[in-house]
Amino acid sequence: MIILRELSRRFEANGRAVLAVDGVSLAVAAGEVYGLLGPNGAGKTTTLRMILGLLSPTSGDVEIQGARVTEHPEQVKRQIGLVSASAGLYQWLTPREILEYFAAGYGLDAGTTNARIAELAARMELDAFLDRRSATLSTGQKQRVTLARSLIHDPPVVLLDEPTRGLDVVGSQVVFDFVRDLRDAGKAIIVSTHQLDEAERLCDRFGLLHRGRLRYEGTMAELRAATGQATLVDMFLSLLRAGDQPATAAPQREDVT
Amino acid sequence: MTSQTPEVVERRSSWAIQWLLTRKELRETLRDRRTLVTLVAMPLLLYPLLGLVFRLVALQTKAAAGGSEYRVAVSDPRDAQWLSKLLATTDAAIAAEDRAAAEDGRAARNRGAANDPAGVVADELNAAAGAAPQFVLIDSPEMPPPADAVARQMVDVGVRVRLDEQGGQTAVELWHDAASEASRGARRELERRIARLNIAVMGQMLAERGLPTRPPVAAVARPVVTRGTTTGLRDFLPLILLLMTVTGGVYPAIDLTAGERERDTLETLFALPVSTFRILLAKYVAVLAVTLLTGAMNLAGMAGTISALGLGRQVFGESGFGGLLAFKLALVLVVFAMFYSAVLLALTSAARSFKEAQAYLIPLMLLSIAPAIVILLPGWELAGWPSVLPLLNMLLLARDTIGGARLGTPALAALVSTVWYTVAALAAASRWFAADAVATGSRGGWSDWFRRPTVGGDVPGLSAALALLMAMFPAHFFAAGFLGQAFDGQPAARLVASGLLTVLLFAGFPAAAAWWRRFAWRPALGLTRPDGAWAGVGFAAVLLGCGAWPLVYEVVLLMHAIGIRAVDDDKRQLVEQLVAGWRQVPLPLLIACLGIAPGVCEEIFFRGWMFGAVRRSWSGWATVLSTGLAFGLFHVILAGGAAPERLVPSTLLGLLLGWCRWRTGSVWPGLAIHVLHNSTLLTLAAYRDELAKLPLGGENATHLPATWLIASAAAVLLGIATLGWTTRVRGSATSEESGSASPSSR
Repeated sequence: MIILRELSRRFEANGRAVLAVDGVSLAVAAGEVYGLLGPNGAGKTTTLRMILGLLSPTSGDVEIQGARVTEHPEQVKRQIGLVSASAGLYQWLTPREILEYFAAGYGLDAGTTNARIAELAARMELDAFLDRRSATLSTGQKQRVTLARSLIHDPPVVLLDEPTRGLDVVGSQVVFDFVRDLRDAGKAIIVSTHQLDEAERLCDRFGLLHRGRLRYEGTMAELRAATGQATLVDMFLSLLRAGDQPATAAPQREDVT
Repeated sequence: MTSQTPEVVERRSSWAIQWLLTRKELRETLRDRRTLVTLVAMPLLLYPLLGLVFRLVALQTKAAAGGSEYRVAVSDPRDAQWLSKLLATTDAAIAAEDRAAAEDGRAARNRGAANDPAGVVADELNAAAGAAPQFVLIDSPEMPPPADAVARQMVDVGVRVRLDEQGGQTAVELWHDAASEASRGARRELERRIARLNIAVMGQMLAERGLPTRPPVAAVARPVVTRGTTTGLRDFLPLILLLMTVTGGVYPAIDLTAGERERDTLETLFALPVSTFRILLAKYVAVLAVTLLTGAMNLAGMAGTISALGLGRQVFGESGFGGLLAFKLALVLVVFAMFYSAVLLALTSAARSFKEAQAYLIPLMLLSIAPAIVILLPGWELAGWPSVLPLLNMLLLARDTIGGARLGTPALAALVSTVWYTVAALAAASRWFAADAVATGSRGGWSDWFRRPTVGGDVPGLSAALALLMAMFPAHFFAAGFLGQAFDGQPAARLVASGLLTVLLFAGFPAAAAWWRRFAWRPALGLTRPDGAWAGVGFAAVLLGCGAWPLVYEVVLLMHAIGIRAVDDDKRQLVEQLVAGWRQVPLPLLIACLGIAPGVCEEIFFRGWMFGAVRRSWSGWATVLSTGLAFGLFHVILAGGAAPERLVPSTLLGLLLGWCRWRTGSVWPGLAIHVLHNSTLLTLAAYRDELAKLPLGGENATHLPATWLIASAAAVLLGIATLGWTTRVRGSATSEESGSASPSSR
């Protein structure tokens, strides 16, 4: 379970305060895929970094599986798996060594680590290149290693930041299958993307973020009812046209208080 | 409202995780062929190549100076016969003279007055030849007259002998090329031989007349070594060695910090439930390992090359490159590598890209070369403030180590201060590495250091503790030095100023930092209510505070007995004068300034601020050990490096106080122990003369009576047992905590 309460983050840039995330509240239940959508600079990555504890919020808080990130940052990190499209691999290490390293970071013992690597290698089809230097892997192979890395500690929560960026159709399909598997496994998932068509295929609920504020939130049907638009693309275009006018129909889940 | 803490499953020990984190960094670094090139290829190729260049230059120098053979044109066979006789007569005497000169040169170099490096090699080659230069006489009919032969550069020198048949003076004409070193050398050599012949003939004539043959005047050369007036091979070695060593750490430092940031691998790293400091520590160990390996390779390459050139004695002294010298150099290299690796990491941690890191390192390299050149200038010695100036102190230490100089208190000050700077650099690295700039990639900056957070916490983090420690050393060093000069000859005023300085630094600094960073001041400074019954804790504090001094005193004597004491007589005298001055000060003032102020304030700093911060990341015992060692080291530095014997007793006291802090969760018991301990010692010192009159085992007794030591040991053991018993609930909680909590909580 992921809960964000009035989460805000302010940055100082050239002597000017910039509110990158402004009072975002949302909740994601186990077995649910939540699409955090927005154009570049909307505050998606900043929100994910606050969920992970990499950035401290200026105000508000994040709760993961019952623990607040500001109070128990490292316990919260144990509950989260991160998939970041931009994240590279260590080119001089093999996928096995990378997985072992992250397993150690999460405190797994040698037996559990080996079992998890074997399980993930079979599931993500890594066996053929598990002991090859990462520098020699193809883009698709690297993506599969990145996905496996996020699950090495079998977290109940998974965050995916632009997971299909730079991938071809086949690579993107691997990610879709991966997310569906996670949902079936009962994980709470947030997918941050600006690929709206992909999000529409992948997510159960959506949060439309614009200039740091969550303008609309809900299922596809709820969003259609609130915006009067049929597709996510149309909803976004109307949102951008509305500029900075506060969105009045942004229903929040009742349990987020 | 507080959140529910999820169940934490910790299946590996904290040390095992740290090792696995470090192993990844080592693998990544040591597999990179760019690292290996710097590490292995550079030293193994560079030094032999340098050696070859040295030899080449030496041979050229020797050739320019005349080489081992001179070509001589003579005008006719009669002259050739005369010249051959001259050479044969003087060969033995000249060879003996050259051998003596070579020995003189070698002895002078061994005492430090080295010539230029090429000269050293040239001299050695000459000495190895073991003979005077040879002459080839040419009197063939094809040879033009001697003057023409020299002018056409067919020979080095031309000779014509004008014999006086009446027994008068024989004139030997020597044609030479004034512009040619070889020609001048040949002329000088022939002049030497003629002078030698004259002495021999005149001696013979005097002997025939029964007169003494000993020359009336003899010049005796006495070479004098003036440190720094010559720049020899020995002075260049630390420069080359240390600068080559740091090149090893440059690439890994950039790659493991700024490089990771550029490759976008850092975010996933920070998503791990491991403190940033531990991630940085793993990287530091990797950089240090590569730097040390580079240092070892350089040392081996350098020693091997010098030995291969046969210059071992010239550079390293009569005993050559032995085990003791290797050990000393290795120690200097280790400390230097620790320091430089931390500085490299600090700078590269602040950079956001490879290029930016390189830009940061260029000024560092230039700054590094400056002191390296300074040590070649006259008058720079490892003493006074240069002994605590970063980098310069290690270069001077390396120079003196290679030179075989006796290393004393300044060397210790150089080592300790460098370790201190290392900790400071790591604190800075940790702060920058963990800065928001890491996560945001573009928004953080230097101003982060001075920004007051909007939200505080209970206890500072490790980087905050190290940052304060970093500020403390130079602040104390300069302030204490200033006070010493400002209140010279005024013991009471100096004492009060010293007490105020202690309060300002050890209590004021952490209190100000706690206020600025918005920490809750009681937990941040450890001023919380102690666990355990007040009566039990108080009784234990009194026992430990009043009862430990005989044991501490004996440990100090033991340190003296095994030779750990200030070797610098001036320093020792200064300390003795200071202590004598204190005896003129009223005891209550003495206790207030040297007993209560340090007892209270040092506890607030070491067991309050530092202990709490370190404990957040490390286990209880590791925290006790590290803060205890920091406490001990600080007391050596507090005394200006003049009291190395304080390291062990102060560290032991620091361990005891750290353990009390851990058991009771508060600085109050340790504070009482510290104040009582200091005050007891001061009171005993004030009544030293009166106590000396008591029958304690003879007038000149140095050691305390055995009964006192037994009583002291009993008091300490009883104090420890009481404290352990009265805080037994807390004790079991802390051991459980250290066994199962997440790394973050330790």
